[in-house]
Amino acid sequence: MVSSYKVLIIDDTEEVLSALCKFFKQKGYVVLSASNGLDGLKMIESGKDDLDIIITDLVLPNISGVAVISIVKKKFPKLPVIAITGWGEHPEALAKEAKADLVMEKPFKLPELEKAARDLLAK
Amino acid sequence: MGPPIIGVSENIKKIKELVEHVAHTGFNTVILGESGVGKEVIAQNLYQKSPRVGKPFVKINCAALPEGLLESELFGYERGAFTGAEQKHRGKFQMAHGGVLLLDEIGDMSLVLQAKLLHVLQSGEFAPLGSEKDLKTDTWVIAATNHDLKQDISDGKFREDLYYRLNIIKIYISPLRERPEDIEPLIDYYLDQYASQLGSVKIERPTREVIERLKQYHWPGNVRELQNILKRMLVLGDSHLIVDELFEATGQKQSSPMVPNREQSVETVRSFLDLDNKNLIDNNSFSLKAAKKKAVDKVEREIIAYVLDKMDWNRSKAAKILKVSYKTLLNKITELSINPPASSREN
Repeated sequence: MVSSYKVLIIDDTEEVLSALCKFFKQKGYVVLSASNGLDGLKMIESGKDDLDIIITDLVLPNISGVAVISIVKKKFPKLPVIAITGWGEHPEALAKEAKADLVMEKPFKLPELEKAARDLLAK
Repeated sequence: MGPPIIGVSENIKKIKELVEHVAHTGFNTVILGESGVGKEVIAQNLYQKSPRVGKPFVKINCAALPEGLLESELFGYERGAFTGAEQKHRGKFQMAHGGVLLLDEIGDMSLVLQAKLLHVLQSGEFAPLGSEKDLKTDTWVIAATNHDLKQDISDGKFREDLYYRLNIIKIYISPLRERPEDIEPLIDYYLDQYASQLGSVKIERPTREVIERLKQYHWPGNVRELQNILKRMLVLGDSHLIVDELFEATGQKQSSPMVPNREQSVETVRSFLDLDNKNLIDNNSFSLKAAKKKAVDKVEREIIAYVLDKMDWNRSKAAKILKVSYKTLLNKITELSINPPASSREN
């Protein structure tokens, strides 16, 4: 099962980011990554990498995941976004307001996340 | 027009980039940094680059007012809301409608008011004191503080839900001592400003030596302190003297072992290890063990040489003072290549 979807993963925890990147690469995705909101946003705004899906942590340095999601959804309403969060309910409620397609709470299993991504991409 | 963001450090470059990217969003923003780093300058820049420019920019200092007063300043009150409320009073939220409300020193806001602020941020509505009607507000809230809000949350002094609500965009300004490369551009900027304020007065730029010394200083008051120093130099003229005083006045603080000065200790480390500017990462010969040996050797060498000099290089006397055997001392002298000063060598 090989997909060549392009995914952007944003997380400021190095271990989480590298684990996610590795897993999605194994699954055949083309993976881009950023460790803070500004870098992630620049990749999205540059537009040269036509992304298929974005997975972002909610609590990030400088520009939070919540802001990234809002900006993305305003510019590219059809681009699916999954928010992942390790925190309490507060940022999660914010992510819903920001219209993330899906909010997943850590810890989750990597195959679950990939399946959720696949489901969104199939829509 | 507010002042521009001045600096060439990585921190300032990143902030400029951040401002360009987020000013149009109007997302709640927290600006963090020590007193005097220029949090309000960043807020003004956000405002000027946003579509809200031209609308009100309202600022309130949350630390300056007692709780009750702060509340009525923020939300306003109706006539007769409380004794003495003879006239209706518009709150800052109302005044800032369509524009920006800068909540300075938000870390000092009471928990009760934090809850009310959270409600406004969630609902976009607020009620002036004594009013039964909620008013809609479209205000870009920018909060600034020198507190470590994460710490305040663990101490129970700041609401976590409010923190996440405000923290959609976070801008951290480093203290000036961590970005000495910004000092020179800041000096040039302010001197230009003062020159144009004073008209035809010619302002002399501090000498290279003075600038280098200013870069060594630890700037507890950050950019605001730099402004004050520059003004003093302008008035008093003798910039060397002012820099001397600067170091003298804070000298005690700097030498306190409780507050080690990072810049200084880096210098010490460099001198001890002969690292100079060699790249630490690519330097294969570096190890803690080797570094320790070098440091111990250096100190040992200085102590032995000092005692020997005091004893006019009488080695047996020196050995007694140092409480080592005569033989050990001779070995150390050879090993650490300690040489007698020229005058005693002739004897």
